[in-house]
Amino acid sequence: METSGQILTSALARRGYGVVSDREYYSNIVGRHSYVHMRVSARRIPLSLTYPVQLAGFLDAESVFTHVFDIGDGGWLIYDTGVSRTRITRIPSMEPQVRDRLLSAYREAGIGETVSDVVSYLEKERSVNIIGIDFKQVLDGLRKRYNLTLGQAQRFRSTIIFAAMAGLLGLDPDSVDYGIERRFAGRAKIVEMNKFLSSMIIEDVRREYGSPLKLSTPTIDARELIIATGNDIVGMGKVVGGLRFQSYYPITPAADESTFLEAHESLSVDGEALGNILVFQTEDEIAAIASAIGAGLAGARSATATSGPGFSLMVEALGWAGMNEAPVVITYYQRGGPSTGQPTRGSQSDLLFTLYASHGEFPRIVLASGDPEEAFYDAINAMNYAERYQLPVIHLLDKFLANSTFTVPLPSWDRIRIDRGKTLLEAPRGVFKRFDKSEPISPRPVLGSGAITWHAGDEHDEYGHITEDPVNRIEMYEKRMKKLEIADSEIPVEERARLYGGGKDFLLVGWGFVKGAALEALEVLRDRGLEGAYLHLRMFTPFPTRFVGEVLKGYDAGRVIAVEHNIMAQAARVVAQNTGFLVTRYILKYTGRPIYTMELVDAVERIIEGGVEKVVLRYGE
Amino acid sequence: MASSLARYKTDVWSDWCPGCGDFGIVAAMQKAFAELDLDPAQTVIVSGIGCSSKTPHFINANGVHTLHGRAIPFATGIKLANPSLTVIVNGGDGDLLGIGAGHFVAVGRRNIDITVILHNNQVYGLTKGQASPTLRRWEQVKSLPRPNIQDAVNPIALAIASGFTFVARGYALWVDHLKEIIKAAIKHRGTALVDVLQPCVTYNNLYTADFYKGRLYKLEEEPGWDPVVHENSIEEVEEKIARAWDKALEWGNRIPVGVFYVNPHVETFEDRIAKLNPLYSESPVARQPIAGEDGRPLVGVEEFKKIFGKYIVEVERK
Repeated sequence: METSGQILTSALARRGYGVVSDREYYSNIVGRHSYVHMRVSARRIPLSLTYPVQLAGFLDAESVFTHVFDIGDGGWLIYDTGVSRTRITRIPSMEPQVRDRLLSAYREAGIGETVSDVVSYLEKERSVNIIGIDFKQVLDGLRKRYNLTLGQAQRFRSTIIFAAMAGLLGLDPDSVDYGIERRFAGRAKIVEMNKFLSSMIIEDVRREYGSPLKLSTPTIDARELIIATGNDIVGMGKVVGGLRFQSYYPITPAADESTFLEAHESLSVDGEALGNILVFQTEDEIAAIASAIGAGLAGARSATATSGPGFSLMVEALGWAGMNEAPVVITYYQRGGPSTGQPTRGSQSDLLFTLYASHGEFPRIVLASGDPEEAFYDAINAMNYAERYQLPVIHLLDKFLANSTFTVPLPSWDRIRIDRGKTLLEAPRGVFKRFDKSEPISPRPVLGSGAITWHAGDEHDEYGHITEDPVNRIEMYEKRMKKLEIADSEIPVEERARLYGGGKDFLLVGWGFVKGAALEALEVLRDRGLEGAYLHLRMFTPFPTRFVGEVLKGYDAGRVIAVEHNIMAQAARVVAQNTGFLVTRYILKYTGRPIYTMELVDAVERIIEGGVEKVVLRYGE
Repeated sequence: MASSLARYKTDVWSDWCPGCGDFGIVAAMQKAFAELDLDPAQTVIVSGIGCSSKTPHFINANGVHTLHGRAIPFATGIKLANPSLTVIVNGGDGDLLGIGAGHFVAVGRRNIDITVILHNNQVYGLTKGQASPTLRRWEQVKSLPRPNIQDAVNPIALAIASGFTFVARGYALWVDHLKEIIKAAIKHRGTALVDVLQPCVTYNNLYTADFYKGRLYKLEEEPGWDPVVHENSIEEVEEKIARAWDKALEWGNRIPVGVFYVNPHVETFEDRIAKLNPLYSESPVARQPIAGEDGRPLVGVEEFKKIFGKYIVEVERK
């Protein structure tokens, strides 16, 4: 299924369309229901998802059963007629709760238990256009032509889907061929077979149905589009930002970033190495953060990437970095918790954890990205902040952003600067006051610079030697905390919070991947008579208190709605703590699936027009 | 050329108990550093938590006093970021073999060129004498309300099993003998363990200086003892490991000190990285430029397009 998504995305990007595709999958490798949910736009880069879909292509019976209600009236369905007689009660991989829920919905809608019952319901009751393809027959043809085994031919099931979709969307065969070549680069035979099969399917579909879902002419102004996941984009940002050491322990949904960096370890341009990144797989997350801090002490820009369970292990070392004014970046991909939670599903339930993790008090910066563009710049800024302010920086992302694939225009380099603050790669020889108290941010000679320095997790003096002297304690404590005030005064507010729209009917307050759905909901609601705004929070410490406070002043409490992927409305609590403004209206989702635009629109209307205080969203399987 | 001992001393007062074995270890380290003429600015001592982990403050070289059990991963990051540094880890038996045992095993698997000095006194000194992972079953040092019911881990055997390529044991009160072992460990390219038997004068009334006196013997004085793998044949490695293993298990009336096992032929982790990435050996990642004078990143838009070409689609409208 992923292959289909990748090829379609390449073909669409080649012709200048914007695409976002969310990957929903279980915590297993093969056999459970996974799917790709795409949004295509001719006029902008889409950043949100919604239902119902206009076009669905399914490889198996379970998908037909699961997504019957996700297809819009008058939409299109492509499926394998070979599974027509399969019953919903005969799908072992389907979770019992899902099956029971679907069965009761089927009973209500008068749908029987087989795939053909579902298809005929869609056709008759929902005017869905059905394209049934006998996959076996198609693949048999391919087998004969290329002398393939049954197993080899099975791999081309997804070709049938993306080709039929391309046909309906009116994509030209060249663009589909481009997508195939890109996906299977260097594998000539597979490319040839895919091209053969897809052109045949496209032609058949065209002949029979035309191109009923033909996309309008794209107007997105981009000569090049990056196709990448959020994980990839963060990796790209780190490469540009001068990362030289990345440690990690494998964990979903963070590991893809480190794998991406490993593939680009040698920053080779025209055969010449500009530098190299050391990607280090450790024995656990404690070693991951400890080695990243160590590399930072030695002068390498360093980071580690993890998710909730991994960060839980990193917490003690986080405090060490705070105490020792050591730069380190933790790229934190949130997934559903607590404990193992939902490893492959999205969440925003770790914000408060990152703000308060580790004992004692020390400065840290916590920032969160809401889309690929923000993620790219934030990855660079996080490393700048870590070195400029000599503290740990936690860069929050969520699984939605991490594992979705986007088409992204090339970023602008105008804004990008590397800021290493008072890092000294060369220093005078001899003993050096690493924690010189004369300024909150002291010069930081790295290990090997010529200076001799000491560091200690104990409270220490200017040299880094242990002292329990109460006067030194006050001075060092305040020196460290003062850096947060400096960061607050220096980091531009535009990088910490942003207000979109200015309507006074309502104000959505959100963060992370909520951004895309919130911005689209603003437009939809405007068309429906509600003029609102979206306050997008990006930095939680130091918090942009004055700006956020000013924005909130413009709204009655009953019109300010927190939109978050957690149950506590965590960002709203941070808002209250910093500004004193209590958010009392909530739209929350904690199923692990993204917030879809249509459910967000509906929830806003229920709150603003219906007087409801809290809506819990639940759309999506 | 040797340098003066004073070069490696700080004026920080050692707050260890009088008679503590740690004094001997620090003295042996300083002597070894002087004889090796180590540059204090290019030397990093990384420690964990506990009495022994205060060591870096008393030696004039870079000191990184980290977290309980985590000295090895901190040291690993430092060494990998800049392999030209001499990196030494000091930690106690509780630190390195209890809370930090996973890292002890992992560093052996990698054969990173660092030296681990294990202060082995069978107790957690700084928390007042609880049983450490090297105290044997049914032994009861004086601060224990009941005998120890956990088995001891054997540091020498664990190091060999984990892949350390230099494995030795010294005695804190035989400073010159220990100094020679530390010198050899630092000179060895690969992960080195120096297990140092060290009386804890306050909490360990079993393994005292008196206990060790008369029991310790030097391996190098045994006829025919040769711990070094010379030819690197499988047979030779197996034989040397088997002999080291036998010696590792000796405890009681005769306790060996000296070098148990040395294999200089295993490629270090740094060498493995350099094999995949030749630039690594020429230019440590910690020393590479990442930006131009004006702060612009080394990877500009043109470099970006070349590095990430396969992620970029040129839009071709029809």
